[in-house]
Amino acid sequence: MFEFFFKYPASVFSKGSIVLAGGWPVWLLIVAILAAGAALAYFVRRNAESSVRVKGGRSAVVWVLQTLLAAVLLLLLWHPALSVATLRPQQNIVAVVVDDSSSMAVDDAGSGSRKNAAVNVLNSGLVKQLQERFQVRLYKLSDHLDRLEAYDKGGLDKLTAAGTATHIGDSLKQVLADAASLPIGAVVLLSDGADNSGGIDLETISEVRRQRIPVHTIGFGREKMAHDVELTGVETPARALPDSRLSATVTFHQHGYAGGKAKIFIRDGGKVLAAHDITFKADGVEQTENILYNAGPVGVKAIEVAIDPLPGEENSRNNKMVQMVNVDKRTPRILYMEGEPRWEFKFLRRAVEDDRSIHLVTILRTTQNKIYVQDEHGDAPKNIKDGFPTRVEDLFEFDGLILGSVDAPYFTANQQEMMKQFVDRRGGGLLFLGGREALADGGYARSVLNEVLPVKLPDRKNTFVRDPATAELTAQGRDSLITRIEEDPQKNVERWKKLPYMMNFQDAGQPKPGAVVLVDALPTSVGKFPLLTIQNYGRGRTAVFATAGSWRWQMLQPVADKSHEMFYSQLLRWLVNDTPRRLMVSTPKQMLNDETLVKLRADVRDKAFLAAADATVEAHVLGDGVAETVEMRPDALDAGVYTAEWTIPKSGSYVVEVTAKRGAEDLGRDVLTFRRDDGVAENFHVEQNRELLEKLSSETGGKYYKPEDAKKLGKDINYSEAGITVRETRDLWDMPAIFLFLLMLRSGEWLLRRKWGVI
Amino acid sequence: MRAAIALTFLLLAAWGVLRAQRPFKQYQAQEYEDFPLPPDWNTKTEWTRARLHYPSVYANRRYGLDLNWTIDYPRSDRHLLEGVRRLTRIDTRSVEQIVDLDGTDDVYNWPMMYAVEVGHWALPDDQAAQLRDFLLRGGFLMVDDFHGDEPYHRVDSEWQVFNASMHKVFPDRTIDDLENSNPIFHTIYDLDERFQVAGWQWYRSGRTYEAGETGKTPHWRAIYDDKGRVMVAICHNMDLGDAWEWSDDPRYPEKWASLAYRIAMNYFIYDLTH
Repeated sequence: MFEFFFKYPASVFSKGSIVLAGGWPVWLLIVAILAAGAALAYFVRRNAESSVRVKGGRSAVVWVLQTLLAAVLLLLLWHPALSVATLRPQQNIVAVVVDDSSSMAVDDAGSGSRKNAAVNVLNSGLVKQLQERFQVRLYKLSDHLDRLEAYDKGGLDKLTAAGTATHIGDSLKQVLADAASLPIGAVVLLSDGADNSGGIDLETISEVRRQRIPVHTIGFGREKMAHDVELTGVETPARALPDSRLSATVTFHQHGYAGGKAKIFIRDGGKVLAAHDITFKADGVEQTENILYNAGPVGVKAIEVAIDPLPGEENSRNNKMVQMVNVDKRTPRILYMEGEPRWEFKFLRRAVEDDRSIHLVTILRTTQNKIYVQDEHGDAPKNIKDGFPTRVEDLFEFDGLILGSVDAPYFTANQQEMMKQFVDRRGGGLLFLGGREALADGGYARSVLNEVLPVKLPDRKNTFVRDPATAELTAQGRDSLITRIEEDPQKNVERWKKLPYMMNFQDAGQPKPGAVVLVDALPTSVGKFPLLTIQNYGRGRTAVFATAGSWRWQMLQPVADKSHEMFYSQLLRWLVNDTPRRLMVSTPKQMLNDETLVKLRADVRDKAFLAAADATVEAHVLGDGVAETVEMRPDALDAGVYTAEWTIPKSGSYVVEVTAKRGAEDLGRDVLTFRRDDGVAENFHVEQNRELLEKLSSETGGKYYKPEDAKKLGKDINYSEAGITVRETRDLWDMPAIFLFLLMLRSGEWLLRRKWGVI
Repeated sequence: MRAAIALTFLLLAAWGVLRAQRPFKQYQAQEYEDFPLPPDWNTKTEWTRARLHYPSVYANRRYGLDLNWTIDYPRSDRHLLEGVRRLTRIDTRSVEQIVDLDGTDDVYNWPMMYAVEVGHWALPDDQAAQLRDFLLRGGFLMVDDFHGDEPYHRVDSEWQVFNASMHKVFPDRTIDDLENSNPIFHTIYDLDERFQVAGWQWYRSGRTYEAGETGKTPHWRAIYDDKGRVMVAICHNMDLGDAWEWSDDPRYPEKWASLAYRIAMNYFIYDLTH
């Protein structure tokens, strides 16, 4: 339609610029129009004086219509034209890139695969249309770009729709590389847009724009699946202590099953660790569910999160995701310093005694001048028998620290500073318990430890109150794993409400910005106070549990009840789970789906946990038939951090052991696992990503086409700034739209005059 | 409607009473009347030692006054608690707490329990069951002042009487001697050298033992929990209660009183650390 009225397609107008080809100056045109307008004004005014029916406003309307008519006619005398760059026939190459990834094998409508649809579009005239004016180069695209044989030699027959990934950006870069030596005038991309490399980066888009190569896209596949459930993300900790309760945050959406029910399963090697009932929301709505599961014994776990295929589901391969979880063989040590013999001390010790993943070492002031040290595992520093550590190296042997009812002045200034550094630099966890010599009553508001506390302590004494208080979960506490006594969140809330009252509580003040209150204490007397407050500080974390009376949860409940044990076990695991060792290796992705490059990062510290910037760090990678040592290089910006990249030769699981040395000193070792799986990424996001294709074409000066409109591409593609071009000037004076406009002006005036009764 | 509301409040109050910690109360005792209360008796503290109010074998013979559980009470208790304050950092009350195995939850609020003259106690089944529950939840029982393991002067063997009730509490657990190496003898004081602590009867009889020949050797025994911790500390053939009671009397030998206090301090700290 547009072309009928305006002679050329809209794309020509968008690429070209309007010029006046008559050669006369533009100012003369303006003068002529002004003169014509003035003359017409004179005549219209004179006629109005002799006519009673065309006066005032009516005469002004007549003047406008006639002036417009004169202006258009004058404009045509100046020879308006469109200047547009066009590709020189037979001198340019058009790169036809066909997506050959496995998502192109999807049969959306039951009438053949997307790949076949793309081949049909090319075979039904598009290639021939292009060949009339250009050389056509065929490429196939998956995780890389391959050139195909010429069309006439059956190049399209090589398409298999079996590529393991779709990397459109990388493929475009390869086309651009070809364009440096070849006159590529345009790119035609036939794809479903299901890119799984994270999209097309700005750098690639900029490069395409710089070379002015328009990328025309033809989209295949349905934009929405009729019946499909797709997992879109799974987040779960990469490291865990044995038998830890972990949370998996699962996000997913669906089409065609709104209101339906299903189960999310978490499995480890076929063994079901958790099953969680879900009800689907509206089609396309992203849903998130938190599911708890047990990490189990020591080992590397490939945790599979899956929604079993539903009846009639079109693509069940996107119902499953795998995450690696390293259940570490380590037993963090926690030092508990208690200033007085009391029930909380006894029952805290008992609560975690069956937790094989935590070694609790306790120092108790039994009398004014005696301490009682309990180190059942015998792995604490030897001089712990003499009391609280006085050397950084001894304190930093621990992963967590608990301060009970022991006043701040009991510690020397050096010990207090060490505890602060324990959190800040070493990255340990520090838990403050309530007590008559704890928190504000223990003088901590005036100690350096005040800074690491997650609460702003009250500026007064007698904050420890021996009045009963019940515990109530806050909104954040309902979502926290620390406070999850019951699996079901709602039952958990009720469970907390039914816990026996605590024998006492402490006003710990208000939470500092960034701190989170998980549990409130509700005294029988009055008010509400933060009971359990946590925060991250420096590399570590701190918490306040402002009571010494939770032991009643043990004594006032049946023997079989494990509330108290679970609470303290989870709190102490939180305290130490993320405490770093002297050498910690990490990678942004442990599961590399159709990716080949793994990035390794090692953080190396000495005994005092100061950055070891002069270490020799090596990564020893072991896999199926692979044993390689990679040297890790120091990061220029981050002292003590060493990085390396390694190309994974084939799919499978790999173990990397990183070792660090400084001269003869062994700075530690750490082990990390990662896994490369091929052919996974293509199972996800299989709907046509029209948004990506449209954006790519619009950003590069191309156009998005539906397969049925692809024939139009043959004309549009001629206009390009890339390749070998010639600038053409195309007349506009004979556009039907102009004549129609002139006709409308004249007939409009005639109709008005008739209405006014002049004729 | 009003009746329903009133009934609800009544039930809540009753539930509260059942669940709540009972306040201090001084009971009628066999040996002392109107024993003065210390001025700070009402101060809220972390800890106190509870004394078990148990039914004895004499319950039906003394016209309802079954006061065997009050032997040495409250003078012994008050002296002992003063000692706890002086010798440890335990924040203790100056007065004891009397507890009953009456089916309510109160006893669970007082995890350190002491029972005197258990050679005469007679726990009914329900009380034995609650005592078992108390101990398995983490409570601690210290028994003292019972002597001999044979009938003596027409009195049943105190050991056997004790054992009869204890067997109801733990039918499947044995009573074992405490080794010197057990931490319970080393929490504050190293008590490898122990001896018989005689009761006040020594002052009149000159004998350090009671109940005949089988009462001559002191036994430090225990019942352990599944983790090997002492749940029930059994002080047989000694009278620590008297030693605390008479520790302020110059006629009572200091060495016995000292050991009795040290035993108690070690046991209390053991309980609070294990």
